[in-house]
Amino acid sequence: MIGFLEGLVVTLKSTLRRPVTAEYPEPAKRLVVADRYMGFPALTWDYDVSEPYCTGCMVCVRDCPTQCMSAKMKDNPLHAEEKSKRRKIIDEFEINLGRCILCGICVDVCNFDAIEMSHDHERSKYERNGNRVDLPQLLEMGTEYQAKTAWKPKQPAKNSGVPVKKKATPEPAATEPAAEVPVGPDGDGPQDEK
Amino acid sequence: MSFEQGVYYALGAVGLFVFLSVMVLALTWIERKGLARIQMRMGPMRVGFHGTLQPIADAMKLVVKEDILPSWADRRIYWLAPLAVFIPALMLWATIPLARDAVLANLELGLFYIVAFSVLSVMGLVMAGWGSANKYAILGGLRAAGQLVSYEIPFIMALLGVAMLVQSLNLIEIVDHQARWAHILIQPLGLFIFLTAGLAELGRTPFDIHHAESEVVGGPFVEYSGAHWAVFFLAEYINTFTIAALTVLLFLGGWQWPGMPFDGFLNSALSVVWFLVKIYVVIALIIWIRGTYPRLRIDQLMAFGWKLLVPLSFVNIVITGVVLFYGWPLWTLTLMSLILLAGTFYLIATYRGTAMERMTVSVHPARIARPEPAVALQQEAGTSTDG
Repeated sequence: MIGFLEGLVVTLKSTLRRPVTAEYPEPAKRLVVADRYMGFPALTWDYDVSEPYCTGCMVCVRDCPTQCMSAKMKDNPLHAEEKSKRRKIIDEFEINLGRCILCGICVDVCNFDAIEMSHDHERSKYERNGNRVDLPQLLEMGTEYQAKTAWKPKQPAKNSGVPVKKKATPEPAATEPAAEVPVGPDGDGPQDEK
Repeated sequence: MSFEQGVYYALGAVGLFVFLSVMVLALTWIERKGLARIQMRMGPMRVGFHGTLQPIADAMKLVVKEDILPSWADRRIYWLAPLAVFIPALMLWATIPLARDAVLANLELGLFYIVAFSVLSVMGLVMAGWGSANKYAILGGLRAAGQLVSYEIPFIMALLGVAMLVQSLNLIEIVDHQARWAHILIQPLGLFIFLTAGLAELGRTPFDIHHAESEVVGGPFVEYSGAHWAVFFLAEYINTFTIAALTVLLFLGGWQWPGMPFDGFLNSALSVVWFLVKIYVVIALIIWIRGTYPRLRIDQLMAFGWKLLVPLSFVNIVITGVVLFYGWPLWTLTLMSLILLAGTFYLIATYRGTAMERMTVSVHPARIARPEPAVALQQEAGTSTDG
């Protein structure tokens, strides 16, 4: 019988606690999205040279388990003007986010820090193909994510697009604007560029 | 009956219907909010301020919804069943007073009338179960019949205890009798029996086996939809409100207010408000119980009703009779009642541990015959330690 009364006390206590409900669609009452949250993939933007990090190497396209991506490469006009060290640059990129399973493999395999799992997760659409996003949209998602999380490339020395002046300075890393971050863990970034 | 009287009763019935509908709408909102808070949710929040207009939206949805008739249904019974549940629920309110002057028909046999009409709703549930031609519905209907008929007895006996105390069946006289001491102080045992049996009569949660969603998927109401389901729903909530009102009238002093300072119209108006406040306190208790306890099994339900509540209600009558016959002061009745209540709780506590467990199906490990290895192991262990 004491158990019955204990039950009543338990429910009374939980009545006096604050509700845990987050009233989702209202902007002020949403839960905070954690920094490590994996939303849909997005392409990052290199602000140093004003172009995407992506070179269109297709490694993410090949490794995608649902084959929801396609990409096309072109010669980088900025490289011809010697404003960027990227020889090739992405021309067209499309991800069908309706098929994406948010596995993050594209991010893991990317050698250029060009694709990231953004915080974007609200993509209800009325059309079946409403979630096929192209390059500008992907970059928009990516820049939004970069601004929100103060994103930095994981291998800044290797993947920065700032062109290296070959003979002017003996240590290229010292003069580069992105070089305040130490060289990547494997340390082979600068050698790769030659 | 004169023409004026006819108009009076017609208007009164319409007024009651409107009053009860409003109360039911409020009740659904309070119940959803209360249950939500117990579960640390918010409940309806979207329609109106904190979901206050949600019941109206629900009602509109139910009225607009398609009314489905199963092809094998027994049509006349199927369509009559909601009325057979709803009309008794409404009829009860003809004699329930909201205040000393606010009553449609002040019957001398008020309690008797209430008992007579509250029994009728079982018919409707069985009709709904039978008419639906659905296995879940008919199981639910029969469960309802079994449960409601069983719990009628303690329910009526608890009413009888109060009637003996007051020496009247008139509800207004019963309330007047509690001007000094509310009956909860004289017959706590009676209140316990009445509330428990009342919950069972309503089919509220610890006793809701007849529309147990996990077993009979809604019981007699499985096949109903739209307006007809709404009528069942309305009747059920009116019944909840009725039981709460009866609890207040019979045990909690009705509209009595210690030292009510006003008279005339203001007195009546405040009486109604005070009465409603008390009713909603009882309803809060009912919701609290619903949010706390799981559903009883059908055998537990029957055992609890027949083995505990029925004998207890008879004992309640006997002690009331003894006290009245010998003219003992009423506090002796309180004392005996409290002792019995404590005894009941003790009984429940011990009963749960022993007889209840014996009733459940259990595999006896003793029947699995494998004594030899155990003995051998023991012997081995014994010899090894000895050596």
